[in-house]
Amino acid sequence: MMEYEKLKDALLAEIDTGLKFARSLDSSAEFEIYLMYRQQSSVDISQGKVKANDGIVAGNAVRVAKDQCVSFSSSSGISAERIKLSIREAVSSLKAVSVKDERFQGFLDPMRQGREGVFATEILNLSTEDLVNAAKQLTENARGAGENIMAQSECGVDWGGFAIGNSRGVQRASASAANYCQVYAMVIKGDERRGAYTYDVTRERVFDIEGVGEQATKEATSLLGAKKLEITAEMPTLWIPKAAASYVLASLGQSANGRSVVEGLSPISERIGDKIATPRFTVHDDGQNPASLGTQAVDHEGHPQGKTAIIQQGQLKNFLFDSYYARAFNTDSTGNCSRGGGPFGATLPFESAPGISSTSLEIVPGSKSEEELIASIDGKGVMIVDLPAGIFHSDVATGEFSVVAACVFLIEEGEKRGAIQPVSVSGSFYKGFEQLLEVGNNLERTPWGVTIPSLVFDGFTIVG
Amino acid sequence: MIDKLQACVAAGEKLGAQFVEARYDDLTLRTLNRTNDVWKDIILRSRAGIGITCYHDGVSGYSFTASTSKRDLEEAAKRAFKMAKAAAPAASLKLDFDHRPAIKSKASDTFRVKVHPRTKDLEYKTELVNRALEAARETGKEIQSVMTWYGELFGQKLFTNSEGATLDWEFLVVDLYCRVTSKTKDGDLVNGVERASGTKGMELFSRKGSTPEDVGRATGANATEQLKAKACPAGEFRALVENRLAGVLAHESFGHLSEADFVVIGMSPITGKIGERLGTDHATIIDEGTPEIAKYGGLWIPFDDQGTPASKTVVLDKGILKHYLHNRGTAKHLKQKPTGNSRAVHYAFVPIPRMTNTYFKPGDLTEEEALENLGTGVYAIQTAGGQVEGDGSFLFKAIRGYWVEGGQIKHPLREVSLSGNILQFLKKVEGCTKDLMLIGGYFGGCGKEGQYPLPCGLGGPKMVVADVRFGGKA
Repeated sequence: MMEYEKLKDALLAEIDTGLKFARSLDSSAEFEIYLMYRQQSSVDISQGKVKANDGIVAGNAVRVAKDQCVSFSSSSGISAERIKLSIREAVSSLKAVSVKDERFQGFLDPMRQGREGVFATEILNLSTEDLVNAAKQLTENARGAGENIMAQSECGVDWGGFAIGNSRGVQRASASAANYCQVYAMVIKGDERRGAYTYDVTRERVFDIEGVGEQATKEATSLLGAKKLEITAEMPTLWIPKAAASYVLASLGQSANGRSVVEGLSPISERIGDKIATPRFTVHDDGQNPASLGTQAVDHEGHPQGKTAIIQQGQLKNFLFDSYYARAFNTDSTGNCSRGGGPFGATLPFESAPGISSTSLEIVPGSKSEEELIASIDGKGVMIVDLPAGIFHSDVATGEFSVVAACVFLIEEGEKRGAIQPVSVSGSFYKGFEQLLEVGNNLERTPWGVTIPSLVFDGFTIVG
Repeated sequence: MIDKLQACVAAGEKLGAQFVEARYDDLTLRTLNRTNDVWKDIILRSRAGIGITCYHDGVSGYSFTASTSKRDLEEAAKRAFKMAKAAAPAASLKLDFDHRPAIKSKASDTFRVKVHPRTKDLEYKTELVNRALEAARETGKEIQSVMTWYGELFGQKLFTNSEGATLDWEFLVVDLYCRVTSKTKDGDLVNGVERASGTKGMELFSRKGSTPEDVGRATGANATEQLKAKACPAGEFRALVENRLAGVLAHESFGHLSEADFVVIGMSPITGKIGERLGTDHATIIDEGTPEIAKYGGLWIPFDDQGTPASKTVVLDKGILKHYLHNRGTAKHLKQKPTGNSRAVHYAFVPIPRMTNTYFKPGDLTEEEALENLGTGVYAIQTAGGQVEGDGSFLFKAIRGYWVEGGQIKHPLREVSLSGNILQFLKKVEGCTKDLMLIGGYFGGCGKEGQYPLPCGLGGPKMVVADVRFGGKA
């Protein structure tokens, strides 16, 4: 068991010991050691069934490099013995297979560190009983007096940190804590079942269940009585923040990733400086916004996290890089090295080799409210109010997508009508940005690392 | 190590737990990835840890740790009991289970292969990747990128509980996976993928059809065919669903609805429908932990993570719902037998009802007869994943396909999405071919409640389905 205040120092001390051992095995090689430790507690209540977990995710990862050959090994645990196991395995792999990576130019050189995000110490004081009571109350709030409402609630706390050190002198650590409550409410009427998901995820304060359960039930209820659209046509689509976040992650989250760019898989890899979206669209990745869940002092190779403009008023400005792909692209790292990163993350992040992911994508809001966005749509359109199924299975190379939006409303002559049955929505992510009609002013911070308002696109095919 | 697990059980019982389970996984995972001329990943992972479940008043608390020190194991047992005790008053649904005699594993519970991957060195495995990649490269000038992966996951799984069960067996899966991206003359990028995988020894890669060269060439051929493929029209069409895609439908769409943790809380739309007709006579869905690997492929899972032996569960029998997939608690609650489906991705997760090898049962048609029955429509092949909702609605991507008219294949189709609701889909199954294929590998895997990727097998025959909604261009 570690304490939050002592975590960074304790991890750095283990790194120091590990690096000394590594050098004793091969003084001519470069080494990098990464340690992580996170304590996770959660309580889940589903229709009276309770699931309670409390454990420690801890592990280490080692990279060894020599003559442009690089190997990676990881093991669970952060004891000296387990770290040595990874070091030995990585050294052994390097000896067994000498495959040069011509792009590799060494690990990161020491740099300054950035700022940690904010953190409410009260989060660490949440007890098991607090989580149980909050989840129970959240469920009751969602169910209200309705007999045909099912609810699944979860409350949890996650705190910990990581440390990174290498033989070039990098010795950095970062720590953070967050907590959350979330509920999925399902409303049943006859054969019809409609669900909605709401949440409060934060690092700035203890989560607040107020209104969260009620909102999920309200949203689910509004979807009842859905009628079939009976139309196959191109029409405008309004994506509310939750849905729009998934669109941006599935498109720019992949194509602006330096790995996709360098590998030639991103269709925008050669378009820096081009207009790839309408002028109303601006997005940057901000790894230093104190309130964002993805904010850390350093990224997962020890580079300070920063703020990177990706698209400014429709013009493609930059991609997201770690040091490896930045050097391959002849540019600087943007501080986006991650391990097991991405919107949904890996459960044992230390097992993932360093990669690239956004920290917090932030879309600059427009001036129109959601009502004004609806009013701006002539003729027929659809309003997508939840993450469409299949959005994360789209291909970065083609940019073509075909998803099923299950939670949808019809928009007709500038007004929101009733719910409609699931429709398939297909098109091209990138043509979508070129045909972006409106950006709303209803900015929302989602749990998936995107802060975004509603977006209105033209030109997607709707099959009702 | 089993003595440490037994000490965990004793520690939990001493605290007051009514029942305790303790398990230890010591797994080795290797990932190799070469992309064009660059080795992206040469990765070895050692994943070892202990998970402890304490039961108190019909409620479980779970804790885990990667440490095996006495102090940390005692702490984990304490945390598990504390969670169970704190959670019990909030639970209105208790999932007690009947005790049973202590189960012991045998040496034959570990699947025996001729050449275990641990006996082959790293160089041999990188050469598998090189061979597949080079073979793929030779298939076309339009190729933009070739990515080839080798993966293996193997190791010991130990389990004990308050009944004195002693299980000690080894899990194994290997996977050689290739992906080719080519560029059409219009500048569009198209893909081809193929793999050879399952609970197999390294002898798999010497067999016709699954040598690295065979995998590479087949992948390249798929991508080459896509160069002249047309977009699938949007709308509802008759469909012939290929084996691997049928497996995804069995697993993702229907299998998850039959997992009893969704059923006991009423979230599954097939709750309370045992004995009801949900599909045509051609729709039979089975979940089986130890299938005939040599004949059909798939994964070998002789015990689940609650120590229950594998079974062959007919979930849907000729369209009639027969059984759910259980852990011990849900089985007792629903008055069915435990099915050996309580699984966890790794030690950091509590076991929950998951599938093992899930497949549609084959029928009696040949592929020619199936095409004839299809008449005009879409022959949808392979899958690039998809998504399902709790009500049974689904969306899957078929990586490729053909447009068929009058039972004749006319032209290839680009990646196409299929969508609908599985409960409607099952009522439209008109026939199945006689060939059964199971797949399951290291890459990919099943996700549920944050537990990803769990290796699962899936498959089926080719299936003729009356109407399926295809996305595409209007």
